[in-house]
Amino acid sequence: MVSLENHIKRVSDAIEHWLRPDNYLLKEAIDRTVNEGLFSFPDLKHRILTLKKSLRKNHLERWARISGLIPGSMNGKRVLCLHAGNLPLVGIQDLLAVLLTGGTYSGKMSRKDPYLLPTLIKSLYKYDLIENADWSTKLESLSGFKSDAVLFAGSKQSAEKVNEKLHSLNLAGSSTPRLMRTAHFSIAYIRDNQPETMENLTEAVFRYGGTGCRSVAVVVAPFFLNSQKCSFTDYVEAFWMKNPQHQKPSDSLFHRFAYNKGVGIEQAWLNDFLIEENVEKPIDHFILYWVKGGARELEEIIKRYRDGLQSVYTTGELVGEDFRGFISDTIQWLQKQVDK
Amino acid sequence: MISHEFIFNEKLSFEERCNRVFRYQAKNNSVLKTFFEVYGLSSESELNPAEIPLLPIRAFKEKSLLCGGLKPKLVFKSSGTSGMERSTHPIANPDIYKTSIKTEFYRHFPPDYYALACYMPGYRDNPDSSLIWMAKHLIDDNTDGLNTFLPEEPNEFEAWKERAEKKGKKILLFGAAFGLMDLAEDQRYHFPENTDILETGGMKTYRREMTKSELRGSLSEGFGIKSEKIHSEYGMCELLSQMYALSGKWFTSPHWVHVSVRHADQPAKLCSPGEEGKIGIIDLANLHSCSFILTEDRGVMNQSGEFKVLGRWHPENRRGCNFLIDQEM
Repeated sequence: MVSLENHIKRVSDAIEHWLRPDNYLLKEAIDRTVNEGLFSFPDLKHRILTLKKSLRKNHLERWARISGLIPGSMNGKRVLCLHAGNLPLVGIQDLLAVLLTGGTYSGKMSRKDPYLLPTLIKSLYKYDLIENADWSTKLESLSGFKSDAVLFAGSKQSAEKVNEKLHSLNLAGSSTPRLMRTAHFSIAYIRDNQPETMENLTEAVFRYGGTGCRSVAVVVAPFFLNSQKCSFTDYVEAFWMKNPQHQKPSDSLFHRFAYNKGVGIEQAWLNDFLIEENVEKPIDHFILYWVKGGARELEEIIKRYRDGLQSVYTTGELVGEDFRGFISDTIQWLQKQVDK
Repeated sequence: MISHEFIFNEKLSFEERCNRVFRYQAKNNSVLKTFFEVYGLSSESELNPAEIPLLPIRAFKEKSLLCGGLKPKLVFKSSGTSGMERSTHPIANPDIYKTSIKTEFYRHFPPDYYALACYMPGYRDNPDSSLIWMAKHLIDDNTDGLNTFLPEEPNEFEAWKERAEKKGKKILLFGAAFGLMDLAEDQRYHFPENTDILETGGMKTYRREMTKSELRGSLSEGFGIKSEKIHSEYGMCELLSQMYALSGKWFTSPHWVHVSVRHADQPAKLCSPGEEGKIGIIDLANLHSCSFILTEDRGVMNQSGEFKVLGRWHPENRRGCNFLIDQEM
């Protein structure tokens, strides 16, 4: 029997092989993804570099330790992963989790990201780490294989439709265990406007067009938006020079801008993004809510919207503080971790 | 104050009346003025009604939308559970509301034909309810004194029923949907089979959200009345006009109201018949506040311009990872 340490080593070797610059399969998948306009090259490059840094053997070991992984706990069990396509390779941690627990992976690739993850699966095949995996961009193609567990990200509303579909395709029964992640956004709590803080904040908000659940959708800062508007816009423009925003907002964003103007909500219109001094449940892309305040305001927002909150990011001595059950991370790590 | 008679003058085209209201509000309503300016529009613009940008209805929760220089004679407020923000609609000229109510209500339910019983228990706790104001007006306006709030004592109700019958009038029971559901279970009230029921209001404060057809089925069963006798009203405190759907058919609008269904992502774009979107309303009766409103209701339109209300628009969570089956299949 292979020990957990050896198993992790083999997984880590397969990942390393997959991420090698001479892996033409991955290169081809990246080209195709860019050519079909699914993601931008700067976003893909950033993603691959992030994974290179964060999917090393010691990271996998740490993950296994923290999560209390029991080797072989899913042996012989089929786990269906429904991958969202908001970020490149967004479902990678689900695939690795199934693999590390000994489960049989079955994956519905997102139509928005269909080429990248299969190249990792092929590397895992080479290392004899996967045997009977099947995947497709069509859920129908997976029908007939009843799953023992389902992993996906969603909300109460979207879950109903997903469950109906899984049931109708006989992919999962009503008692099949489901793990649904519900986090959709993160909050940044800053206390200064030093260049480093503002650059980190810009990255945290605008990387991947703000589409990740680690992407910051709400900023709590000791300044009014109006006082930071010009300088913050400069940081954003500098970021966009290197990383042009790939997805464009719908007309409803301009409609919102017109509405805010009408009712007198302070805002900054960046064409492809809107920053407004207001807060409501962050469910839409391309909007950053700016709240003037401190820890009290931050905790109030966490209390109100905690069911969709992924993380709280902050700076300096505030890192590690508990804000209503959320232990804050440094804003510097943001987006450099394994994004979800 | 601008005269309001033209709103109800059917000899003028809707487009002509709409442009007059647009010009007035683009000049005198500061919120709309700024909102339209962002779109490059001013009180000088001449537009097809469908091209006029619609203001999100939540503006009634954030600002007073009364045109400049006017004082409200009435203020309507939406009902709301604790913690919920309430919409506020200041009314400068209640006569417009009176005309709007009577013209459309009596077109569908002629006063010579019906004795009206209003049952609005939840709303009676809201002194600023536009629905209660409407019911009171229909009661006060009635010449034979038969229109009433539903008597609290069943004996009084029986006596009232007898008086209505003697005058050869059918009963029209008008009430908020969730209240009517409770009334249907109250064995003390017996309504004749030929009673008509007019339900209004959402089901969000009731036990669960129901579709209109589920609701009509439950009311029909509960009251022992054929479902074709059950009708619906679509109104809200933000509108001074109401729309009606008779016998479960599609809603129709009065001639001074234009209803459209808009793409949620492209509010300027009209949905094709059969396609779901947000309901947009141009209500000229809102002369002194805001006539151009994008609601948060989900609706669908048919080829004839009639519409159905399908419930609230629940936006999908588009941030972060969210496996949306509609986009992935």
